[in-house]
Amino acid sequence: MRILHGLKISLLVITIVCSCTIYDKIFDNPVDHKANEEQGIGAPTLVFYPKTQTVTQTDSILIGSFIVFKEDSTEPFSGIHLQIEFPNELMELDTIVPGIFITDTSQSTPLFTYTYDDNIVDLYAYFLGTVKLDLEGTGHLADLIFNPLTTGNDSIGYNLSECIIVDHEDAQIDINGMRGAEIIVQ
Amino acid sequence: MLLSGIASAFDQEATYLVLNHFDKPLAGIDRSLIDNFNNSTFNFDSSVDALFEDIDDHDNPASKYMDDIKDLGRTHNVNFVLLNRIQHSGDRLIMEGLLFNTRSGGLIHRRKINLKNYNNGLVNELSLWVGKTKNQVQKGWEKEREAILFLNPEEISYDKTPIGAALRSLAVPGWGQAYSGNTLSAGLWAAIELSLSLAFISSYNNYDSSAKSYLENIKLYDATDDEKEIADYRDSAEKDWDDHVLYSKLAITLAGTTLTGWVSNSIHAWIFGPRPYTNIYQKGMPHSTLPKG
Repeated sequence: MRILHGLKISLLVITIVCSCTIYDKIFDNPVDHKANEEQGIGAPTLVFYPKTQTVTQTDSILIGSFIVFKEDSTEPFSGIHLQIEFPNELMELDTIVPGIFITDTSQSTPLFTYTYDDNIVDLYAYFLGTVKLDLEGTGHLADLIFNPLTTGNDSIGYNLSECIIVDHEDAQIDINGMRGAEIIVQ
Repeated sequence: MLLSGIASAFDQEATYLVLNHFDKPLAGIDRSLIDNFNNSTFNFDSSVDALFEDIDDHDNPASKYMDDIKDLGRTHNVNFVLLNRIQHSGDRLIMEGLLFNTRSGGLIHRRKINLKNYNNGLVNELSLWVGKTKNQVQKGWEKEREAILFLNPEEISYDKTPIGAALRSLAVPGWGQAYSGNTLSAGLWAAIELSLSLAFISSYNNYDSSAKSYLENIKLYDATDDEKEIADYRDSAEKDWDDHVLYSKLAITLAGTTLTGWVSNSIHAWIFGPRPYTNIYQKGMPHSTLPKG
């Protein structure tokens, strides 16, 4: 009986010890410049948020487009041209709305337009602030809304060779990386 | 207290000078010598208070005091000098007897015993020793010594056993030691195991809360696209992650130590568990236990 008692205590301790799981340290938010750096993607970076989303065929697909700067090396910018490639057999573009960053949290109305053809969207925006010329730091550029066409999964990404960021003097700012997003339609 | 006595014994075959050297007064010891060896005459003299104390410090103790023994023999006109030393140590008696021949001055017989005291044990052991030197050992004295032994060992039943102590300590640390009568050891084991267990529980709780907090912060971190919130949640999650690793290691170490201590405590209880005494009677003594004076 006493041996059984001792064994029970030992088993309890062993069970507790085995339950001391060490979780993986995974930080992978695309809007986090540290997480991007850990994946070898330098700033400034064009990213989509969320990085993965699962929707049904009746849902809309909302994808945010962001520019991510490293905190200590931001560069002011005013204009952007983003070329986005999306799987047009999986979804169709519904609309694109300016992000809160480029609208200066709804205090200004930017120059904002886009064109699309098959699977490519070209988005042009220029910040038209009332008290400042440029934007600086990480921020939300636009929201892209798609409608699913069929089930499946694919990804959306930037065509970096065609993407341009300029300051108010039209000087180009280098973009060092991009992160796409995965869409799963069920 | 040192008690010295000098007694002269004369019998038909040989004459003895008996020197008693005791660490405390022993009432009736003189009378017992007179009664047990009535063919001898005893004279007692307590003027000598230290004799042959350093005999074991010499390479050849048998011949160390040859001249002194011869002098004593001539002074008291005896054939032999018999020295008895008795020292009490708790419930035990440490007895030494030395028999010298006054013609040569050499040590011809020596006895050392360390035994558990028993009823009238001191007088009986002295009678046995003196009787052996005079070849007058009575059966009654030998029978009386057997009182310290169990007459029917097969009837001995052990109420407490080492395995009983070990099992108790396995159930509750320190219980086996307390069961064996070692209260200090019991308290120490119980305190050590209790401290280790509390430290382990505390570490595990800290691990658990850190792990939960880490998972919660990771969830919030993934769920936001606000730069500031991302930085805040990431900082908190990183701190929680470091904490949960630290406390996990600490909890595992403490659990291992607690378990090892628990088993060690049980083994300790078994090793030092209750066992019958085996040193009731011991012939000879280590040098360091020799009585001085």
